[in-house]
Amino acid sequence: MSFLDGFRHRLRVFGRPRSYERELDEELRFHLSLEAMQQEHAAHGTLSPPDARFRARRRFGNPTFHKEETRAMSGLGFFDMARQDLRFALRTLRRTPGFTAIAILTLALGIGANTAIFSAVDAMLLRPLPYRQPDRLMQVSITVPSFNGQPESDDVPWSYLKAAAFRDAQHVFSSVGLYSRESVTLRATDATREESEVIDEGYLPTLGLSPSLGRNFVTDENRPNGRRSVIVSESFWNRRLNADPSVLGRTLDIEGAPFTVIGVMAAGFHGLGGRADLWMTIGTRRPFMFDPNEAWDHEFTMVGRLAPGISPARAKSDAAVLGARANAAFATGGPGPSWAATARPLDGLRVDPLMRRSLLVLLGAVAFVLLIACANLANLFLARASARQREIAVRLAIGASRRRLVRQLLTESLLLSVLGGLASVAVASLGVRTLSTLNPERAFPAQRIGGLGAVNFSTIQLDWRALVFAAGAALVTGILFGLVPATQATRPSLTAALKDGSPHTSLRGILRRVTTRNLLVVVELALALVLLAGSGVMLRSLAHLLSVDPGFDAGGVLTLRLNSTPQARPRDSLPAFYHTLIAQLRAIPGVTDAALGDCPPLAGGCNSTMISRHGGIPLTLGSEPLVGVHWVTPGWFATLRVPLVSGRLFTDADRVGGPKVVLVNATAARRFWPNESPIGKRVGLGQGGFDTATVVGVVGDVHFGTIDSTPGADAFIPYAQSPRNGALVYLRTAGDPALLASAARRVIHDVGADLPVYDVRTLASRVGDASAQARFSSLLILMFAGAALVLATVGIYGVISFAVAQRTREIGIRIALGADRGSVLRLVVSQGAALTTIGLVLGLGTALVTTRVLRSLLFEVTPSDPVTYGLVVVVLAVSALAASWVPARRAAALQPTAALRE
Amino acid sequence: MFFIYQGTAVPRDARDAEKEELLKGTLDMLILQTLTLQPMHGYAIAQHIERLSGDVLAVEQGSLYPALERLQKRGWLTSKWAPSPTGRRARYYTLTPSGRRQLGAEISSFDRVLAAIQRVLERA
Repeated sequence: MSFLDGFRHRLRVFGRPRSYERELDEELRFHLSLEAMQQEHAAHGTLSPPDARFRARRRFGNPTFHKEETRAMSGLGFFDMARQDLRFALRTLRRTPGFTAIAILTLALGIGANTAIFSAVDAMLLRPLPYRQPDRLMQVSITVPSFNGQPESDDVPWSYLKAAAFRDAQHVFSSVGLYSRESVTLRATDATREESEVIDEGYLPTLGLSPSLGRNFVTDENRPNGRRSVIVSESFWNRRLNADPSVLGRTLDIEGAPFTVIGVMAAGFHGLGGRADLWMTIGTRRPFMFDPNEAWDHEFTMVGRLAPGISPARAKSDAAVLGARANAAFATGGPGPSWAATARPLDGLRVDPLMRRSLLVLLGAVAFVLLIACANLANLFLARASARQREIAVRLAIGASRRRLVRQLLTESLLLSVLGGLASVAVASLGVRTLSTLNPERAFPAQRIGGLGAVNFSTIQLDWRALVFAAGAALVTGILFGLVPATQATRPSLTAALKDGSPHTSLRGILRRVTTRNLLVVVELALALVLLAGSGVMLRSLAHLLSVDPGFDAGGVLTLRLNSTPQARPRDSLPAFYHTLIAQLRAIPGVTDAALGDCPPLAGGCNSTMISRHGGIPLTLGSEPLVGVHWVTPGWFATLRVPLVSGRLFTDADRVGGPKVVLVNATAARRFWPNESPIGKRVGLGQGGFDTATVVGVVGDVHFGTIDSTPGADAFIPYAQSPRNGALVYLRTAGDPALLASAARRVIHDVGADLPVYDVRTLASRVGDASAQARFSSLLILMFAGAALVLATVGIYGVISFAVAQRTREIGIRIALGADRGSVLRLVVSQGAALTTIGLVLGLGTALVTTRVLRSLLFEVTPSDPVTYGLVVVVLAVSALAASWVPARRAAALQPTAALRE
Repeated sequence: MFFIYQGTAVPRDARDAEKEELLKGTLDMLILQTLTLQPMHGYAIAQHIERLSGDVLAVEQGSLYPALERLQKRGWLTSKWAPSPTGRRARYYTLTPSGRRQLGAEISSFDRVLAAIQRVLERA
């Protein structure tokens, strides 16, 4: 146990250094007095006590020396030195407040930005999911091979019956759960829309969760038209139920039906979807899903918890086999399409791959900024060290060890970085607050951004992990920017420095020092170029994105949602109701057109279904091509200014009872009826009761999905022939659409007081959201690149100014000997130009390699876009030359007499 | 008995350095050996070593204390304060079991070196 004994000893020493010292004194005094007694005794009384003490001292040696040695052995000397160094560093920094302030500010910004981005990376990519044993959770999805021009997919949700068949057949998961997101109308004193999840009884137990108040669903509640129960979130309980502890048993009116509250979840849980406040069962919210005819109605995401001892690979292979069996069980006739299933770790799906990449790119960019800041500070330190060269030389000469001096200089840089690190917490908390308030649902349209909604920007926080990161970053930067100058400055070329105090007489010394400084500046320029090039291509990509024609005119259009219920308005009465509603809305002064649709454009994607062409080749169920289906009123195309390509639009004459009609978009016409006109063709759609309908017209393509994906095949169904409870109202206005929101609300309230009106926004802002992610990433990376440009420019300015200061005497001689100002100017600027050229070449090479990681984030621009690179090189070159121009002017204006006298 | 250089021709600081070099190992061993008898305070340890080695070990008594500190840090000794026979309290050092093992190891390696030197001297 020698280790333990030794450790205990050290603890005692370091724990109470003062008493250690007192005891050491006492021990040595004790020794000396005994020795003195011994001497006196040995001399048989011939020795006076002072003489005896003197002899004892001789035998003992210098007590102070031995005490120091002992202290050094104990390790306490280290702290003495650190304290000394710290005091000295503080004094030095206080003497140059400007330098100190700039250094701390640079570090605070650099470390703070890094910490903020790290917090985002931590929350989005690293932190374990907040469920029991999250590494045992997997998501099980249906896989669909590519057919008829549809791309293959391995992320298709389940229908309830297929999921149930799979669940009952498998043995690799100890439990599985299903969920699907939905928003519902809650009626209390007023009608509001609430986010919810439709789940089965296995969902919460699979995640390892149960309500903190009340209980989970039982199987009985997940049957068609079973007992209606609801579990609510803690925030809903606070917000709507006054945190009533006896809330269990109360009923809520959800979508016109009474649901009994049976549980309240713990704070912070909003479902895997990340937004739910209410949970209800599939049986009560989707009773029809239990009907064998709905086996191809795919809606639910499945999560499974691996059974003990089962590996993810085993689960995956079992899922493939059993998934194929579950799909085949519901394929009617013919060799069903080879649909199967796969399982993936839930953690791997936490965020969309694009989001992951954006965050990592941002982290890389912000780390580059910090590196550049380090290089700059190292340069500042080098300049300072050369000003202190005499001091250092004197200290070396009178016997200070080099290690000791390096330690002292490092203490200075570490002190700065610690101060910068402390200040960075303020910067980081500001950044984190900004990031966490970004509304992920809007900035990153949900469907486009895959991944779990539960992992979103609101979970970003400045926690101890971020603080540890900041502390680590501060230490590393302190060592990074301190070590090089410290070793450089203490390199023992001290004779030259001592001799005449003009360090520039030793050419080799200058070269060596200047080379380090030059190297730093070259690296800075190269890094800045990488950042500028990266942000440049991202900006170009953004410009492309913003210039995409979405297929409609968003200007002046207001949108709002409303929802009716079958109880309030039977399906048959809806067409007349909507007719009245549109007429009333049109009558609002300032409204020029009004229409209804079911799904807004650029929302990430809408409803889609199978389309079958009558008279064509018969296809087996499940193998027909997919088409997006949109419900619209006749005025929709005029309101959004979507052009008619051929045929006719819907009219008020297309109503229930009449022949069913559909419109298709240009892509659908081209894809399904190549080389012929689709007008008059008979089609069947898998939804809306449109088994047999006639195509009456072709309209222009609209971007329903995302701005950067080409529109797919779409079909339009008239509301009047297939009424739906929910609708998105579009109002084209003459002036500012936002001003008409309250008038529209009033009209809707007059027509149907029970209708919840929500999601009131201009269409333009919806379009804006479609490029929000690109704008967000571009903006941040542009900020980082801007910081890099400024730092690099300052860096080259510093190096050239320093070089001019070092060469003052030489330049003075040149001017005195007749060199004209122009040639001095050229001399200095050419040094800057040389550094810039090397930096740019180095940076170009690096940028060409590193910006490849941006490829998947870019839209219609390559990572090595020549235009961007050209522009970036020009920008950097101009700012670098401008930065060396200033000291060059100073050099050229030098008075030779003054310079030589110096 | 021990390799303590006593000549005078060598410059003082060189001799000191040599002494120190040789002492580090041997002094540690002597302290450990001394403490196999019983726990002792620093002065007693110094007395014991001096008595046994005669004047050969002409090392300053103060050098004992850094060595004691070093041995404690390694965990070979522990110390605690206790009253001494004179009534004043003193810090008593005790050999730990691992210190005893260390002593054994040092003695045997020392013996090996000694034997090797002897063989060399006999052949020459």
